[in-house]
Amino acid sequence: MASKPLSQEFTKGLWGENPIFRQLLGMCPTLAVTNAVINGIAMSLATSFVLIFSSLVVASIKKLIPSQVRIASYIVVIASFVTMADRFLAAFFPPISKNLGPYIPLIVVNCIILGRQEAFSSKNSVGRSLIDAFGMSLGFTLALLVLSSIREILGAGTWLGHQVLGSWFEPWIIMILPPGAFLTLGILLGIIILIDQKLQRSK
Amino acid sequence: MSLSSRMVIVLTAVGIISGGLLSTVGILTRARIEANRLREIEEAIITVVPGAKTNTKIYEEKDFTVYTTRNDQGQIQGFAIYTAGTGFQDKIVLMFGTDAEINKIFRLTILDQKETPGLGAKITDKEAFLKYWENKDCSHPLMLKKPPVAQEELGASEVNAITGATISSEAVLATVNASLAKLRSLIQAGTIQIEENNGQ
Repeated sequence: MASKPLSQEFTKGLWGENPIFRQLLGMCPTLAVTNAVINGIAMSLATSFVLIFSSLVVASIKKLIPSQVRIASYIVVIASFVTMADRFLAAFFPPISKNLGPYIPLIVVNCIILGRQEAFSSKNSVGRSLIDAFGMSLGFTLALLVLSSIREILGAGTWLGHQVLGSWFEPWIIMILPPGAFLTLGILLGIIILIDQKLQRSK
Repeated sequence: MSLSSRMVIVLTAVGIISGGLLSTVGILTRARIEANRLREIEEAIITVVPGAKTNTKIYEEKDFTVYTTRNDQGQIQGFAIYTAGTGFQDKIVLMFGTDAEINKIFRLTILDQKETPGLGAKITDKEAFLKYWENKDCSHPLMLKKPPVAQEELGASEVNAITGATISSEAVLATVNASLAKLRSLIQAGTIQIEENNGQ
């Protein structure tokens, strides 16, 4: 694994191992908060912050931690960064903190983060782990952006709060409700598998 | 070093470092978070009681807080009532303002709700819901008009329901009516006293 070129360590998070579309991890925040683009962005930023710093810490201290207590230690590290992100949002961006409600504290149990620590940071160097974390964060952010854009445009006729569809458009309220999240994710997954199959065949 | 003592040391160290960091973050952000909450209430009071310059908290219990508000001459302007009731999904937290005699509701504002987006969540919408609450006669319990009619056709103490969100509309109505009754009984019992000329 360590023989992979660094650029590939980064790009795999965007497409080949995209945490949402390929690994299907972290579905809870993905489905729940993508009803508006602003929520998707805030969630991505908070998750990226936690993922990058947790990877940094875990990769730095991996040799000190006995393997029997590694999961407990990782969770404490992750939970610390999540709490920081949560307090920061509550102090400086109260409306966003209110919108995201319990989903910021729930980043603690987001499997993308623990998954990357267990599968990657605990076995790789600090630099490589950071590159991996940045790639995964960007992949997560892109996925949430696509999902929340589709849902907000169809469900409310707006993008980031700006009207993009004219008054002729009757918002599909279902798109900002939970079923809209499942519909959008399912259709996107199908499209991505189709594209991937095309790419594989043309190789 | 034996494995078990290494495990204990590592976990303790991780816990202590994390706890120390978090209490620092907590101390750094606490004042701001509290200020945000207070400012939100302050802004809501100005919204629901037009002309309110100062306010004093005169009564507080769980999900029910009463403020008196005064204009710039220090005269009592009315009450701002912060309250919460059960909505369709979760608590609806709201604030409304009345005159000093509790005969008239000035305005209503929703502070927090988790009603269905596009349906019940319209209780936060001025055009769809909140405008019908402006300057309503509340000497009698308010009533819901269903289906909604034009604003001119509403009775003095009638407010329009939201089509498709009767439960949310009723929840707001019931919360306001219950709060009005509670405020009146608290004044009658002498728990809340208003000193009319105590304006600084």
